[in-house]
Amino acid sequence: MYRIRFHGRGGQGMKTASRILGTAFFLEGYEVQDAPRYGAERRGAPIFAYVRAAKQTIHERGVIQQPDLVIIADESLASVSSAGTLIGIDKHCVLLIVSNESPESWKHRLNLDCTVLTLAYEQLDIHQISYAGIVCTGAAARLTGIISNETLQRAIKQELAAFDESVVANNLHQALDAYKKMAEHEACVQKSQEISADNYQAPEWITLPFDDANISAPAIHASANSVQIKTGLWRSFRPVIDYQHCKHCWWICSTYCPDGAINVDDSGQPQIDYDHCKGCMVCVAQCPSHAISIIPEQQAEVAAPEVTAIPGDKR
Amino acid sequence: MNDKPVTLYRHMKDLPSTHLLGSGTAMCSGCGGLEALHEIYDIIGEKSLYVNAAGCMTLLSVYPFTPFRGSWLYTAMASAAAGAQGVRDALDILLEKKQMKADEDMQVVVLSGDGSAYGMGLSATSSAMERNLDFIYICYDNEGYGNTGQQYSGATPHAARTSTSKGSSGFRGFKKDLFSIWAAHKPTYVATVIGSEPVDLARKIEKAMQLKGPRLILALSPCPTGWDYDPQDSVEIGKLAVKTGIWPLKEYVDGKVRHTKLPKQRLSVDEYLKRQGRFNHLYQPDRNDKLINEIQIDVDDYWSEVVE
Repeated sequence: MYRIRFHGRGGQGMKTASRILGTAFFLEGYEVQDAPRYGAERRGAPIFAYVRAAKQTIHERGVIQQPDLVIIADESLASVSSAGTLIGIDKHCVLLIVSNESPESWKHRLNLDCTVLTLAYEQLDIHQISYAGIVCTGAAARLTGIISNETLQRAIKQELAAFDESVVANNLHQALDAYKKMAEHEACVQKSQEISADNYQAPEWITLPFDDANISAPAIHASANSVQIKTGLWRSFRPVIDYQHCKHCWWICSTYCPDGAINVDDSGQPQIDYDHCKGCMVCVAQCPSHAISIIPEQQAEVAAPEVTAIPGDKR
Repeated sequence: MNDKPVTLYRHMKDLPSTHLLGSGTAMCSGCGGLEALHEIYDIIGEKSLYVNAAGCMTLLSVYPFTPFRGSWLYTAMASAAAGAQGVRDALDILLEKKQMKADEDMQVVVLSGDGSAYGMGLSATSSAMERNLDFIYICYDNEGYGNTGQQYSGATPHAARTSTSKGSSGFRGFKKDLFSIWAAHKPTYVATVIGSEPVDLARKIEKAMQLKGPRLILALSPCPTGWDYDPQDSVEIGKLAVKTGIWPLKEYVDGKVRHTKLPKQRLSVDEYLKRQGRFNHLYQPDRNDKLINEIQIDVDDYWSEVVE
């Protein structure tokens, strides 16, 4: 059986990526399961989807715990522990990260002893972000060594039948490009045995003492403590205010920001709270003086000190 | 008679520059519903108690976190208004028994999506109005069951694509007129708002807060995920909903309906529809003149009856 897990962000097309790969396996004569993790998947939030494919009946259910191939579409997720990208990765597994850094660097950074591959990419425009998933599908198809170029194309056309020709063409182009780039690693993913339930050991029974409802019920006594959740991790691009051009109108970006992540400080400067900004860019679109621009998150990490510094002059 | 409204909110600059609702919630990036809610919350203030029908905004408060500064109670989809009755009654009992000071009283607010407000929760809401329950009902209307993948709801507009109306004509039904359904009950106050018109929104919340009884705040909530557009267009699409006349900003008070913003030169509905993937089938592969005209005529008919 092949067990493949895709990690990305809501809006990057990861659900469709797994769906298309599943269809491609099916067209090659495999029995297939493919599913996004159901839950509160939100645009920008870390999500995953997975595919199982086997020649026999698949008895396993649920999330893949022991993957044969893991693909991370958004490299910023590799180190986000809540995204769970590295769960169950052992020596046998292949990890592919869409990244311009070297496999060695990732292997060292994540302290892994499995095969690590990277797929270089050109900086995607923020409007092309939904193509991240299809790149992963193309790469995964080649890495399994099972899916032919023709099957991959058929699966894409079948699953995207409802879309415009131009969308299908763009997806085909992205997928086939990734398929080609992975040629030297063809069939490097090894299938593994079905996990047997024969030796399953049930966890020990734990008895919890009964507590009063005022202790055991899920009541929250803190006020607005949601700020402890750093939704800033959802971003792959960030808005940056150019304070030389900001007219200090103060209300527009701050009012429209859906997350209330822009507040005005005592000196009248709007401040973007990058711990919580989800990168929707409503502020960029609405700023009347066009003082807010978009930069890729990787670039921001390098340039952060200069970019976010506020000039001392107060008008 | 001088009925010029007295308001704290005359200009954008009268709006709050820092915000009360906590960030860090699980709403989608660019959520038009959260945009409206955070603007509303700033005006209602922290002495409020939210009764939340199941929907996207259930995920605002996921144990052990909450963005609210006051209480929040979660109910099933159909029963938020009944939950609000229980909460209001409990507060009234505490006040009457003097176990709570009058200045500690809270505004009871129902928060629900359109699936609940236009459909499943309508019966309990109608009964709450019948009992003249003192509460504010906020509906974030993203015109479908957004939390589960945008199936159509009673609020889905004609011809929109949803995950349960995918054909070349989209949704064959028509959006229910919840404003009029509420107004027919003769409650205290009914208003439509949108996050992209924050001054109009603030004035209406301000007015609602000065009244007692059943009050509806119906917020059209552009939804990048369900309506299929780039999240940064959320405010722009909201403004277009108003400028094309598709989303009339109005209020019902003292038995009268008043429009609070009259689009001077209404834009063609194309300007609004074209921006959203859910109406793509009206333009691709060929322009569906028949359906687009139907939508335009529907809007024109509405405004031809508006006399101010």
